[in-house]
Amino acid sequence: MQAVRSSLWAVHGSVLQHMRVRAVVAPSTTGLWGNGNARTMSGEAHGTYLDRRDVIDRVLAVVKSNQKVDASKVSETASFKDMGLDSLDEVEVVMALEEEFALEIPDAEADKIRSASDAIDFIASHPSAK
Amino acid sequence: MSTAAVAARRALQQQRTRVLYRKALRNVLSWAVHRDIFYVEAQKMREQFEMNKDLSNLETIDRLLYEGESRVEKFQHPDPYIVPWAPGGSKYARNPPVPSEVITVVGFEF
Repeated sequence: MQAVRSSLWAVHGSVLQHMRVRAVVAPSTTGLWGNGNARTMSGEAHGTYLDRRDVIDRVLAVVKSNQKVDASKVSETASFKDMGLDSLDEVEVVMALEEEFALEIPDAEADKIRSASDAIDFIASHPSAK
Repeated sequence: MSTAAVAARRALQQQRTRVLYRKALRNVLSWAVHRDIFYVEAQKMREQFEMNKDLSNLETIDRLLYEGESRVEKFQHPDPYIVPWAPGGSKYARNPPVPSEVITVVGFEF
């Protein structure tokens, strides 16, 4: 029994000597994770901005879905007043845009959005717009 | 009063109205969670604003604005809905970025 086990161990040793896996050198040989890797762990560190074309399409879709708006006058450059909206309607449109893009716009900023281009600029430059 | 001063005061009142309507509508959104109830209540809020649409006396408008703002203050929701990633929301600062002073060492051995 003892002889079988020792001969098996001899076979084991020789097999291991002849079967070697080539060691792969890791790309970062220093072994330290620099600032670049650590910062990308959490997505909120750098904002994810939306494409401007997508923003334009979605904003115009939201504005057109409002029943009081004149669909023929909706364009990127028109102000909400030209489209036939009251000042209270403008507030409602801004709230609808907030819900569409999952944004939280402070009251002072929301008051400044008076046209479709204002809204598009604001949303395209917002880091957390979805 | 000069027309420029009157116009400036009217513009300020219009801005106050817009801000008041926005606060009131967000309040309604926090209180009325189910959408069909929200639409009904938002329409009622809108009609209250529309009732006083055609006033021109500056003092009356100021008084109504003051009353509206105090009413919105009174019916303010204690836990308003805020978008999760915004300050006050549930996901705010949940995963803050790792500060640059922290370095992770791979292959550290005691």
